[in-house]
Amino acid sequence: MSSNTRTRRGLAALAALAAMTAGACGGVEVRDDSGDGGAATTDGPLELAVVPKAVGHEFWSTVQAGAECAAELDGDVTVNWDGVSAETDVEGQVNLIQNFVTQDVDGIIYAATDSAALAPATQQALDAGVPVAMIDSGTDPQPDEVPLYATDNRAGAAEAANLLAEALGEGDHQVALIEFQPGSQTNTERVEGFTDGLAQHANLTLVGQQPSHSDVNEARRVTEDLLIANPDLAGIFAANEPSVLGAVQAVEAAGRTGEVVIIGWDAAPDEIAGLRAGQISALVVQNPFRMGFFGVQNMVEHLREGTPMASADTGVTFVTPENIDTEEVKAVLEPSCDNPPVDQ
Amino acid sequence: MPMRRPPRSDRPDTAATGIEPALGTRDRLHARLQEHLASAVSEFTAATALVVLVIALSFASPNFLTADNLFNIGSQTAVIAIIAVAQTMVIITKGIDLSVGSVAALAGVVGAIVVRDLGFSVWEATVVAIAVGAAAGLANGLLVAGARLPPFIATLGMMSAGRGLVFIITGAVGVYSLPESFQLLGNGQIAGIPFAIVITAIVAVSAAFMLSQSRFGQYVYAMGSNMEAARRSGIAVRRNLTAVYVLAGALVGLGGMVAASRVNSGQPNYGIGLELDVIAAAVIGGASLFGGQGRIAGTLIGAFLIAVVRNGSVLLGINIHYQQVIVGLIIWAAVYFDQYRRRRLEARG
Repeated sequence: MSSNTRTRRGLAALAALAAMTAGACGGVEVRDDSGDGGAATTDGPLELAVVPKAVGHEFWSTVQAGAECAAELDGDVTVNWDGVSAETDVEGQVNLIQNFVTQDVDGIIYAATDSAALAPATQQALDAGVPVAMIDSGTDPQPDEVPLYATDNRAGAAEAANLLAEALGEGDHQVALIEFQPGSQTNTERVEGFTDGLAQHANLTLVGQQPSHSDVNEARRVTEDLLIANPDLAGIFAANEPSVLGAVQAVEAAGRTGEVVIIGWDAAPDEIAGLRAGQISALVVQNPFRMGFFGVQNMVEHLREGTPMASADTGVTFVTPENIDTEEVKAVLEPSCDNPPVDQ
Repeated sequence: MPMRRPPRSDRPDTAATGIEPALGTRDRLHARLQEHLASAVSEFTAATALVVLVIALSFASPNFLTADNLFNIGSQTAVIAIIAVAQTMVIITKGIDLSVGSVAALAGVVGAIVVRDLGFSVWEATVVAIAVGAAAGLANGLLVAGARLPPFIATLGMMSAGRGLVFIITGAVGVYSLPESFQLLGNGQIAGIPFAIVITAIVAVSAAFMLSQSRFGQYVYAMGSNMEAARRSGIAVRRNLTAVYVLAGALVGLGGMVAASRVNSGQPNYGIGLELDVIAAAVIGGASLFGGQGRIAGTLIGAFLIAVVRNGSVLLGINIHYQQVIVGLIIWAAVYFDQYRRRRLEARG
């Protein structure tokens, strides 16, 4: 009798589990009504979560614009944009992804604040039947079915070293690097790309390397200190938006604008202004619009037609005072959904 | 700096309240002397560390002891020092303000927005930023003194709500394209001295004078030493405690404006983790998280100690991670020595 009860309880538990599993996969099964067999697709409304590394920078707002543009083109896609306030809040992002999985959104598109720490979060989403696409920064390991739409940071940063060498010309020069978030994947790639690129130029010596922690005030502080420590400093590569803005302020305050060449990364309005004013020699500009756009576009295609998502390099543009007013560069710098910079 | 901070035994009404036994004049003098000594020893320890560090760095780096570098350090420390002064006042009341980073960011972006969108002058914007900080401080004060929330909780809420407001107001994008004049507070000079340093000096001297010389300053220490005794001795605790938070908030607003001015933009991510820097400065300088103790001079020394460690690390090319370890060690050492000499004084007293 008692064993019977136990069996029945066991069965009930199994049934409940089955029901829960069915519930978790329910979205997928409902979607499978387009009749193309096998692939789980839907014509209905889609709700996608798009999660940046952090909110609060121009870059991520452009990602958002790209994501919303792709959603708009489909017409029946809602973009749920949410992010933590600091790139260092890795755990906060893990929780955010988990919450979106719990909400059972149709797909998650996000940029990992930490490649290792977010890998389990991606896996949880996949296990719950929520497809994932990565933008800007992937995870390690990254499952095969998860694509990455990102900049080739190494190649871009290596080219930054070339631009620096070009701007400085012949002779021996001291250069410094303002990195942003030591330990993050993107940071590591840019630092390694830059130092690899620097190795091609025997006349350039790296005399200082300091992080800004993506804080303009901190970038300014470390650049001021680097300028004091190395009075002969001739060039700086600042590897993201806050780092560039802080470096520009520090060089300006030291009265050495023009003497110290700055190669920057990204294209915030004040960076563009700095380029036009001669404070910055060149900017390595990513295509964040395309990241958001590709992420949502491919995810929607995947959900609607079952197409597997494939990774793509979203490319960089090297913006200088000479080419800044060309149509091609304009499309990247001032992206709009009327003229999206996505099919160059 | 003259001190008229009342130690417990010095409050006029303690005898009447019956909380503490009345002390004779000699005992009172003795207790007061001890308090003086305690603060002095604490500041002396931190100051000695600072001086030793400065001498060491002068030998280690030829660029350290230059006018440019010293002005740099001064300007770099300005914002932290101003906000650390605010934090010190709160800590003396046995409180803590975790919201300083968020409120500084809020004041900075609002200051930047009124200049960019409403055409305010930098001075008007500074007044607005200070008002924003004071309003946040008022909310903190009402929550602590009125609703009786623990300061940690009240300001934790403000830390979150303030940051959220910053993102709502800015749409999570930095406030750029500001006129050159916006840089006045952060980058301007008066007679060759960076304006940020002048502002810091004015703030520090005024706050030190207020704490040590005014009746309000006496209330601040009295409330921190023993809130209940302060209440019973007739101090309007609710009003005065709220005033401390409002004043602190106003200073945080000013600090946020100087920070924004230094980078010529309103940064929504500014000040994340700033509360830890300023609490560290206050604690290194001898402020006690148990309330009733702390002086502006000590806090300034603490702020400069941290700033010089960071500056020296970059000058010597020391990795950022070691800088953080060094600051941690300084906090431990400072508080340990503080506790040590306090125990010795108590044992002797």
